[in-house]
Amino acid sequence: MKKIKKGDLPLLWEHLARGALLYLPLNEDGVVNFAPWQKGARVNLDSLNTVVPPKNLVFPQSETYVHFEQKADALDFTPVQEPKGDYILFGVRPCDVAGLTVLDRVFLEDPLDSLYENRRRGTILALACNEPDQSCFCTTFDLEPGFAPAADIMLWDLGEALLWQAQSAKGVALTQNMDVYLSEATAQEEKTAEQLQVTAAAAEAAAVREQEWALDGVKAVAKEMFDAQIWESLSRRCLGCGICTYVCPTCHCFDIEDFSRGEQGERFRCWDSCMFKDFTLMASGENPRPSRKERVRQRFMHKLSYFPARHGGLHGCVGCGRCVRKCPVSIDITQVIKEAGGLINRA
Amino acid sequence: MKAMLQKIRKEAASVLASGEADLVLGWGKGPLWWQSYPAFIEEEKETGSLTWDPFCVPNLSKYLLEELWVKQKVALFLKGCDALGFNQLLQDKRVDREKVLIFGIPCSGLIDPQKVERAGLHQGLHSVEHQGGELVFSYKDDQKKEDPSSFYYDKCLTCRHPNPVVFDMMLGDAVAVNPQERFAAVGELEKQDVSERYRYWERQFSRCIRCFACRNVCPACSCRECIFDLTDPRWLGKANVLSENQFYHITRAFHMAGRCVDCGECARVCPVDIPLTSLNRKLIKDLNELYGEYDAGVEPEKEPPLITFNPGDPAAFLES
Ligand code: SF4
Ligand code: SF4
Ligand code: SF4
Ligand code: SF4
Ligand code: SF4
Repeated sequence: MKKIKKGDLPLLWEHLARGALLYLPLNEDGVVNFAPWQKGARVNLDSLNTVVPPKNLVFPQSETYVHFEQKADALDFTPVQEPKGDYILFGVRPCDVAGLTVLDRVFLEDPLDSLYENRRRGTILALACNEPDQSCFCTTFDLEPGFAPAADIMLWDLGEALLWQAQSAKGVALTQNMDVYLSEATAQEEKTAEQLQVTAAAAEAAAVREQEWALDGVKAVAKEMFDAQIWESLSRRCLGCGICTYVCPTCHCFDIEDFSRGEQGERFRCWDSCMFKDFTLMASGENPRPSRKERVRQRFMHKLSYFPARHGGLHGCVGCGRCVRKCPVSIDITQVIKEAGGLINRA
Repeated sequence: MKAMLQKIRKEAASVLASGEADLVLGWGKGPLWWQSYPAFIEEEKETGSLTWDPFCVPNLSKYLLEELWVKQKVALFLKGCDALGFNQLLQDKRVDREKVLIFGIPCSGLIDPQKVERAGLHQGLHSVEHQGGELVFSYKDDQKKEDPSSFYYDKCLTCRHPNPVVFDMMLGDAVAVNPQERFAAVGELEKQDVSERYRYWERQFSRCIRCFACRNVCPACSCRECIFDLTDPRWLGKANVLSENQFYHITRAFHMAGRCVDCGECARVCPVDIPLTSLNRKLIKDLNELYGEYDAGVEPEKEPPLITFNPGDPAAFLES
């Protein structure tokens, strides 16, 4: 394995940014999000998750894909040129890498979404979490805070340096000819990383156990949960905002709209949220999810029941904890897992 | 805080037992230290789950919009800022005062979880409590004591009405009112030249994820049909692009002019920390300067400045 001294990172970033668009977690006005790196940018590799997950790079919040214009005899369509060129995502946390794997199941399986496929071409350098937050629960979904198998390169924070392990062909390619920045890691350093990985997973799992809930309950009642009592009480306090879905690395619902002025316009797709009342509103005025109860239930059922049923047991949640941290009224998916599973079991 | 908690539980139990109210809105507690959330209590025996701690920040009065459709009488607890929001709903004729029973909570300020995090005190934290002038952070095996002043919400540091201005029963003695200057941040922004200021807001609005939490939580945003939800005509396009975001924020800010009670809820819920307080306060400040001092939410019977016409009103925008 290789390693890079933290002091050399700006040089590495400068080098990487010459050959590709380089995204890093940057601090802008106190908010850390992935953004294109420039010399002097305020990189933050210490805070765990960015507020907005990196999904907006592969599945932008708004994406125009065709322009149209009314010509004398016909409507003229011009597809938007898809972005090309390499890009690198540096410092993605393991849950967010897993989030991309969930999105892949939606967009890369039949029917293939070519817009997504094109944007998914980047190289991902994941950064292990040594100290998960109280709201993190990735271990619940058999993920590890300290390891992201689907990343191209895995990095572990050793304090003075980052340990560097190439895990895919793309990762190996990027690691080549990097001797100016990378050096060989010692066996001791590899051992330390291994240890950190074990401790992080154990600490998170212990914290989760302390709260006394597990996924098993929900797995056992994945279908019956639809009729659980909790939707009524939870939805009563829900504000019906889009925070939980928009900060989620796996939520992928979108709408398609046109913007036109005069003879010209464009068609775009944009994120939409099952928590919004017009999400299921039909042209006739009928709304199959008329109240917040159905909408709150939908979000949790999709993640914990429908998605795994359709995708071989893979859950539509990676336990990143963003919705737990950001919901203004503390609606907490871990409590849903606990109560929906537990309540029905008891009944 | 313990004494207040006892009063809250006692009053809640008493109004449910006597039938004076068929619903009590208070706060409940989740498993993590900052999770104090709106709770809906209908049975006397559930009142023991009510909480009062340094994180009971959500304003409960907006839930009246829905609950009053089905409930005869709702009792709720209001802090100072919540009471201003309640009065705004009253002024907008969205709640029936007769159907509401208000317990006022004189408030000495609540704790901002983000400040706890920034101070690095959050790892493994179990609970946070006031104890004799100190803020006590409890962990599994130890405790840390801190001066609370560096952890209050910004809105609490500038709070001018910590004692509720509307109530049926006050649950404690009035607290001292000692606000910092609330227009300081606006003053700083006003000093910048126009293009600098434009770039500042451009940066803020580009970050908006258009989740509408700021609108949904706002006690002054109570229109049955919101312009931003209309699909025909579609005033606000769904694309998250700067121009649409600017349209959203500027339109909302102007609709709030003279109606924003400065309760800080919008800024609290914003997931990307857009300084909405500065935007709202700029309008409050301008209105005060143009039409005389007006404090939304304090006296709901008083006509707000943009509803009344005075021949002497300044109209610079017409004259230039
Ligand atoms: S973030 Fe919370 S309040 Fe907003 S829609 Fe989601 S669950 Fe409801
Ligand atoms: S549902 Fe919540 S915890 Fe799960 S992946 Fe989405 S944001 Fe993260
Ligand atoms: S703004 Fe005032 S009333 Fe509201 S929580 Fe802060 S101190 Fe209390
Ligand atoms: S705009 Fe913000 S500060 Fe003003 S009343 Fe609404 S939520 Fe409160
Ligand atoms: S809460 Fe923040 S991110 Fe959401 S719409 Fe309002 S300003 Fe935008």
